[in-house]
Amino acid sequence: MSSPTWRPNRRELLRFAGLGAAAAAVPGLAACGGESVTGGSTSELQFMYWGSSFEKTAIEAMLTSFQDSHKNVTTKPLYTPDDYTTKLNTLVASHRAPDLAYLGAPDCFRFGTAGNLLNLYDYIDKYPGLKDRLPYTYFWYGEDKLAGIQTANEVQLLWYNRTAFKDAGLDVPPADAAKAWTWDTFVEMAHKLTLDQNGKSADQSGFDPTKIRQFGCSIGTVLGLNAEALVRSNGGSFFSEDGTQCALDSAATVKVFQDIADLAYKYHVAPTTTQLGNNAPTTTVQLKTRRIAMVADGQWDLLDMAQSDLDFGMGVLPRYTKPVTIGQGGATSIFSQTKNKDMALELYLYHNDPAKVKLFSDGLWMPLEKKYYTDPKLIDLWTKNKAHPAEFKSAVIDYALNNAVATWTQSIKNSAAISELITPPLQQVDNGKKTAAEVCKSVSQKVQPLLKGSYPQGDLS
Amino acid sequence: MSAEVTARTRRRLSGLGRVEQRWGWFFALPAIAGFLIFTIGPMIASGVFSLTDWTIGLSPRFIGGRNYHTLIHDHLFWKSLTVTAYYTIGSVPLVLIVGFAIAMLLNQKIKGLSFWRTVYFLPTLVPAIASAVLWIWIFNPDFGLLNALLRGAGLPTSQWIYSERAAIPSLILMSTWGFGNAMVIFLAGLQGIPRQLLEAASIDGAGTWARFRSVTLPFMTPTIFYNLVTGVIATFQVFNQAYVMTQGGPNNATLFYIYYLYTKAFTQGQMGYAAALAWVLFVIVLIVTLLLFRNARSWVYYEMGDAR
Repeated sequence: MSSPTWRPNRRELLRFAGLGAAAAAVPGLAACGGESVTGGSTSELQFMYWGSSFEKTAIEAMLTSFQDSHKNVTTKPLYTPDDYTTKLNTLVASHRAPDLAYLGAPDCFRFGTAGNLLNLYDYIDKYPGLKDRLPYTYFWYGEDKLAGIQTANEVQLLWYNRTAFKDAGLDVPPADAAKAWTWDTFVEMAHKLTLDQNGKSADQSGFDPTKIRQFGCSIGTVLGLNAEALVRSNGGSFFSEDGTQCALDSAATVKVFQDIADLAYKYHVAPTTTQLGNNAPTTTVQLKTRRIAMVADGQWDLLDMAQSDLDFGMGVLPRYTKPVTIGQGGATSIFSQTKNKDMALELYLYHNDPAKVKLFSDGLWMPLEKKYYTDPKLIDLWTKNKAHPAEFKSAVIDYALNNAVATWTQSIKNSAAISELITPPLQQVDNGKKTAAEVCKSVSQKVQPLLKGSYPQGDLS
Repeated sequence: MSAEVTARTRRRLSGLGRVEQRWGWFFALPAIAGFLIFTIGPMIASGVFSLTDWTIGLSPRFIGGRNYHTLIHDHLFWKSLTVTAYYTIGSVPLVLIVGFAIAMLLNQKIKGLSFWRTVYFLPTLVPAIASAVLWIWIFNPDFGLLNALLRGAGLPTSQWIYSERAAIPSLILMSTWGFGNAMVIFLAGLQGIPRQLLEAASIDGAGTWARFRSVTLPFMTPTIFYNLVTGVIATFQVFNQAYVMTQGGPNNATLFYIYYLYTKAFTQGQMGYAAALAWVLFVIVLIVTLLLFRNARSWVYYEMGDAR
């Protein structure tokens, strides 16, 4: 008589387990090859974005007013302040991409070239609002292929604490690109503004560099946007324009990198990366507490500055040969699976319209269209308010219009892999462990195989 | 007659057995199903993914073992493996020694014993991210606790996690903060040591050291072994410190294996390659664990010889 009970032996158990596993894996595998399963419904547009809680509120208000002024459409904010790329990747992999989304440059190009994003170039004629924007705000991945346009514009500036200058009896940094300080003047000023615990400045004898109360300046890391602006000012670049050659080891670039490192390690007029720390306070706090007197940072700080009671000022970056700043910003893109393409484009044009969104007048954003930089009436629309100081016109508006160039990640292919390779070794320059010449030379050789050219830039004129 | 009775009894028992068996499977089903769906299923799926070129946004393409081949030439793979091994070799013994030592202290008859046991276990209860943020401040070269202590004692200070050379030793030092779990297990092990053996040893004239060396330690080897294996497996998967404190820097000095895998998968969207990384780690951990088990035969003592 056979046993009435099922006593699985090990092999049967394994077979059983294998079956279950296969069953469990099937849906996952089946989903890989398929087309998009779900998205926002016809009447729903999902908008994914990052930012501070302030930006969260402003975007929510923008979405609500869009919904109120457009029939048959609802909007859904997907606010994702942390682990943005992680969440977005997961959504895309599970075919639940949002309709519109903020994208960092590497993600924008990755999804664009993979065909996940709507090619905005196809809609240029139907929606002329997409034209006439500052040339460096577009994310081209081909002459007639447009993956996205910056959400808003930003330029790099020199922020300072007016009281620090008054106390030192110095003139404040120029707010006019034509009068930009030379690098040598900037370094001299930084010396005068660096004070030790006894009140001695860095250019006086008896100055104690181990007990610094107020640093003169901070430029940031050598791969940061401020450093890139200075490199461009010196006639150098990170990579050749066609993206086939590494220019990090060019004399012009190496000089700027070493000059920046010298601020901290040779002259002690800027905090070292360690002193700044991995969780450094914001620029506003650094200036307000007078830990630092001048900080190079983006225009977006104006939101914070205007809300603090700090007596701040805005100036242009120092220059080498010609005055240059970097104009940049993350992209906003439309995912191609969106159900209602026209409505998505309507929202696209709405989401950063200075007449509709208060983030412009609050100081966080700058407009993309040229007319907001040239037409006095339109300039007033976003700058005639308490947040924007008197020097804003020359230090920011004219500077952004005349002196701004795009950052390398906006045109060089394979930028994510390139960054992954070049960032760690260049931290040794930021840490003062090695000279710029030494590191740049070895990095340039190593990065060469990763250079795959640059994206051809479209022409909308 | 008697045969009939036996037969009936057996049939009844087997009937009951059948019911029990069925219910047994029924009750075990949630755990089995969960294991199959959430562990084995994804494992098999990731095994399949590891044979594809799958970047999120594009469809996966079958490429056989090419991901594994790429891996061999990926210097960041080797770097992350080295960094992780360095951390494991430093952290595991340190946590074992500290955990054991404090368990010994807390195994004494002293006043307020449960209070002290709670106090020493508390750091383990601090959420991982919170303790990482706390340690960022402890390691701060300018205002941090450690450098303040060193300065106070007139000793040279360190750049801690901000220096390429000191970063991993700093994180190893920080890992002792989490000795609580190991300590509790050691404490349980210590309580299981037969009192009469320790007393007999005392009567025979054994001192504190001899009792520790010849009675306590041999009895503790299974516990040490357990903590060793779980410690090795856990440290191979260290992630939080790199994610919260160092972002893998400076100059990749703290590029832990799982952190590297995470950036590949979720920052760069290279799912196929990340799956290959995951499988390689699985095999490495498996081999290390098997080696530890093999090696254990020579030094782990079980009171009941067959129980291993």
